[in-house]
Amino acid sequence: MSTENRNHQRNRNYQRSSRNVENRNYRNNSRSQELRSLQRSSLQGERRSAEGRTSQRNRRSAEGRTSQRNGRNAESRISQRNRRSLENRELLKRTKSQGARVPEAAPKGTGARFTIRMQKKLAVLFIVVLLAFLGLSMRLYAINKEDSENYKKQVLSQQEYSSKVLPYKRGDILDAKGTRLAYSEKVYNLVVDASVINSKQIYVEPTVSALNTCFGIDANEIRNHLAQKPKDKYYVVKKQLTYEEISPFLELQKDEEKGKNIKGIWFEEEYKRNYPFGSLACHTLGFTSKDNIGTNGLEAYYSDILNGTNGREYGYLNDDSELERTTKAAVDGKNVVTSLDANIQRIVEKYIKQFNEQHQGEYRQGELGSKHTGVIVMNPKTGNVLAMAAYPDYDLNNPRDISAYYSQEEIAKMEEEDTYLDTLQGLWRNFCIQDAFEPGSTAKAMTIAAGLDAGKIKGNEYYDCNGQLEVSGHHIHCHRTNGHGNLSVSGALEQSCNVALMHMGDAIGTETFMKYLTNFNVGLKTNIDLAGEARTANLIYDVDSMVRSDLAISTFGQGYKVTMIQLASAFCSIINGGYYYEPHIATEIQNPDGSTAETITPRVLKQVVSTETSEKMRTYLNAVCITGTGTTAVPAGYLIGGKTGTAETYPRKQGQYVVSFIGYAPADDPQVVVYVVVDRPNVEDQPHSTFAQEIAKGIFTEILPYMNIFRTEKLTEEQEEELRKLQILESVSENSVEKGEGEEDGEDETEQEKEEEKPNYTYDDRTGNIIDPSTGYQVDPNTMEYVDPLFSTIGDISGTPSENEQEEDTGEGGNPGQ
Amino acid sequence: MAVRRKNRKQQEYFFDYTLLFIVLFLLGFGLVMLYSTSSYEAALDYGNSAYYLKKQLISTALGIVCMLIVSRINYHFWERFAVIGYIAAVVLILMVLSPLGHEVKGARRWLRLGPLSLQPAEIAKLAMILFLAVLVCKMGKGIRTWKGFILAVGAAAPICLLIWKVTNNLSSAIIVAGIAVLMVFVAAPDYKRFVLMAVGVCAAAALIVFIIVKNAEGQAEAAADGGIQSDAGFRGDRIIAWLDPEKYASDEGFQTLQALYAIGSGNLFGKGLGRSMQKLGFLPEAQNDMIFSIICEELGLFGALSIILLFILLIWRFMVIANNASDLFGALLVVGVLGHIAIQVILNIAVVTNTIPNTGISLPFISYGGTSVLFLLAEIGLVLSVSKGIRLNDVG
Repeated sequence: MSTENRNHQRNRNYQRSSRNVENRNYRNNSRSQELRSLQRSSLQGERRSAEGRTSQRNRRSAEGRTSQRNGRNAESRISQRNRRSLENRELLKRTKSQGARVPEAAPKGTGARFTIRMQKKLAVLFIVVLLAFLGLSMRLYAINKEDSENYKKQVLSQQEYSSKVLPYKRGDILDAKGTRLAYSEKVYNLVVDASVINSKQIYVEPTVSALNTCFGIDANEIRNHLAQKPKDKYYVVKKQLTYEEISPFLELQKDEEKGKNIKGIWFEEEYKRNYPFGSLACHTLGFTSKDNIGTNGLEAYYSDILNGTNGREYGYLNDDSELERTTKAAVDGKNVVTSLDANIQRIVEKYIKQFNEQHQGEYRQGELGSKHTGVIVMNPKTGNVLAMAAYPDYDLNNPRDISAYYSQEEIAKMEEEDTYLDTLQGLWRNFCIQDAFEPGSTAKAMTIAAGLDAGKIKGNEYYDCNGQLEVSGHHIHCHRTNGHGNLSVSGALEQSCNVALMHMGDAIGTETFMKYLTNFNVGLKTNIDLAGEARTANLIYDVDSMVRSDLAISTFGQGYKVTMIQLASAFCSIINGGYYYEPHIATEIQNPDGSTAETITPRVLKQVVSTETSEKMRTYLNAVCITGTGTTAVPAGYLIGGKTGTAETYPRKQGQYVVSFIGYAPADDPQVVVYVVVDRPNVEDQPHSTFAQEIAKGIFTEILPYMNIFRTEKLTEEQEEELRKLQILESVSENSVEKGEGEEDGEDETEQEKEEEKPNYTYDDRTGNIIDPSTGYQVDPNTMEYVDPLFSTIGDISGTPSENEQEEDTGEGGNPGQ
Repeated sequence: MAVRRKNRKQQEYFFDYTLLFIVLFLLGFGLVMLYSTSSYEAALDYGNSAYYLKKQLISTALGIVCMLIVSRINYHFWERFAVIGYIAAVVLILMVLSPLGHEVKGARRWLRLGPLSLQPAEIAKLAMILFLAVLVCKMGKGIRTWKGFILAVGAAAPICLLIWKVTNNLSSAIIVAGIAVLMVFVAAPDYKRFVLMAVGVCAAAALIVFIIVKNAEGQAEAAADGGIQSDAGFRGDRIIAWLDPEKYASDEGFQTLQALYAIGSGNLFGKGLGRSMQKLGFLPEAQNDMIFSIICEELGLFGALSIILLFILLIWRFMVIANNASDLFGALLVVGVLGHIAIQVILNIAVVTNTIPNTGISLPFISYGGTSVLFLLAEIGLVLSVSKGIRLNDVG
């Protein structure tokens, strides 16, 4: 540093102190100039430091001069030299301490200065910092230039990888009482991320051993996978584990010590469809295949309603590769409440099975008790289906398993011949809605109703049957070859006389007959809410090309085909006052939280016959079951109406028949219709509707008390014994112990018990009581002792003593007209 | 008379508005970025997307008040607190070990005082600046000798060691040491010893890295042979991850790599404010040490360079104030603050760009951190106070 500069520096410092003194004296005069000069000098100062060290020295001196000049201008005549004394500094200090308004005017304390040398070093430091920033900026630029594309892809790929789908829960299918027939349960797939486990050697052992202990996965299998595909991120080891199954592992993983090195295992959530009753109502419910696609039945028909919408955990990328921020939770599917009743369904299936097991392999070796057996239980006043069952059935939880019906060899053969799928399809077919058959004599009810309603027959006609009738050159036989003799309209129905019906057909005429048949929805889909209902439009006669013989055989239900649901719905309209209800299973759509989203009310489509016709038909049909062909179907203690059917299948004269019975109870006020069809029973002598009637009788016997329809007829000794066997009536000793309530609770419960062969106490889901299956009594859940219903404090029990008394009273005092 | 009074006021209470506005702009920008960066995680973790923003706003408001108060106090007022501050810093750091200590994410670095939690390392930085400024002034020409140099640098050593060992916070220790070295560098006339020191530090760092890498290779071989797995320590892991982040993408290198992805995917102008994808759970501590990478992602190279430019402006203002400070004490205070901010900004950006191994250093005024912003603003208050001195001295 040169002497000159040092002088400058000193000079400036002295100036400063002296100026402060002057400031006090000349402030007023010099203020404006001071401000201006301040601006100028600070500007210069800034420029100086920005431009670095080379010319700093010169500038500084120049500036010194400038400010000196300014000072001189402002302070005019005061000579600099005079102020170069130390005294001045002392004076300054004194004035300051005396409260002058110059707060930070002068250095204090240390008195040291920030020297030029230090300023230079500061400038060096600034340049170093600048260089560092420059270097970092270059680095930023380099990252952007070199790896931009690569990193951009990385970001996007990460995004997609982590944008996890949140599965929705498919809705439940419930029966009328709220029992879950189908529901979805959250399950977990065990996924191994080999790249994470392999990232550190210390992860491998703890993870493999944890998998082994918690899931029993073979350690070698995992090791092999880790070795063979070390970078693999997604390997599903186990599927559909329940929460209980994975919770030991989760706890182990949470453990600070042991779980620290368990890495690379995660659980993918999904839902699994469960059918708690296995094969119950399998054809009606249907099942779901992968990704909640409904197959068959309600599952297929209501698939869209049952399904929800998947959610996503993070955002997702839109078309511009931008992130959509909305995190959407999964929307669970809605529940479908049906009119099905699991208990009725169970009873129905019990009797179907009973029949088929009884006749298994009886005539046709190695075959089931029938080709098909189908039963529909309906409420004729609403068209709601209470039960719908078909045989053979299958387990909904395992619909592809046919080992119950076929041996391993047979299955292997099927796979070879590529008929395995066809077999499955056949098994999954819902006989009640998908198979058409000639209805046989059950259709006579429709013919007579049409005749009566159209006024073509009055009901007081008599017909002569000598066993056959010649129609257009064809000799058409009655089922009784030596003839029924003289029959009224009612008698024709009671005896199911074909000849009489053919005469009536002549009276009705082709057009009217076909008009009514169409009104009964024969040939049209019923639009029941099940997937796959068969189309039968081309299975009935075309009215224009129909000849007299066609009409003749049509009157007793041959020559055209119906599905079970068509005939059952039509029959309902005949007996319920003439109203044709659309057959329906769903009664309500529920939101996932159980609140009602939509109520499905019964739909009357039309009035097919008049109320009077319907009333007349009920009398006729009742007579069928009192004196006619349908007596076998009558359950003990009830009056029912119904019609039997026996139809020969194509090709004719093979001894192959479809036997059926359709009936309703009670006879005067139909509450329930039961339609049973047995397709080619496995017996030597097929054409007897008694096969169907026996099934129907069993069903009636059990469901009528369950539905709180009371006995009206007197029971014979034998019938009482029979009912006791079924535990619908209590045994005598029990009767003396307890009357009333126990019966009501016990009866169908015990039926279920027998079926499921559960040894111990059971829980009655209707009433919430605990029942001893051997006696049907309610049991105290705490003490496991029988409860005296009169003093019961356990809970509400369905049925009241008065109801039961009434039932028994009417039963004894009723009309013994069986 | 009234007019005169007013004029006088203008003259006496000069404020370096350039500095103030740069700081305020950085704060405002920081808050915007903090909200953008943290809202997603905050909403996930706390159910309130403004959780971090709210906390930072409170600290910032407190800090601004603090800054304004400090700027109005003559900085010489603090001189007498130099030693007390130094001792207080030591005590506070030691108190982390007491029950008042508070652990966050496995690091015991905080003190909890009622609802406030505070990081003693931040206080230590300010205390160190004040203490060294006073020390150097007291030494006068003594700083030119080796003895004085060692004394000045040595004064920082205890605090650095405490921060490193007690709070296990190497990065803060490095910053405190860096501040001390820079202040002495400016105060002492010599270059040679600093160059020597820089070379020495670089050589030592290179040696450590070399040893760790060798060690890791040996371990990898041992592990491959099925031998014992030993722990290299998390700093060792970080250095290995620094050299090859892709290889350790799943653990140590994860954060660095995610930061690089963020920077790389930003391009020139970025994806737009608020449109970062990396902040959505990919980049850990995005609102904290890694906020710069999100700035790069959302605002691109342009935004990043703008921020760097702002910091350069800030540092330049510091230099102007230091150069024109009325005395050495004031100048040294400003140099200390300059050093503090410069070191943190450089190290932070260096970490984010994987130029140096990953260590937790926040970006001044922008990163989330209450104590940090509070004390930074107090430091700015000091600088403003020093700047007031210049004006009257320069007045012609």
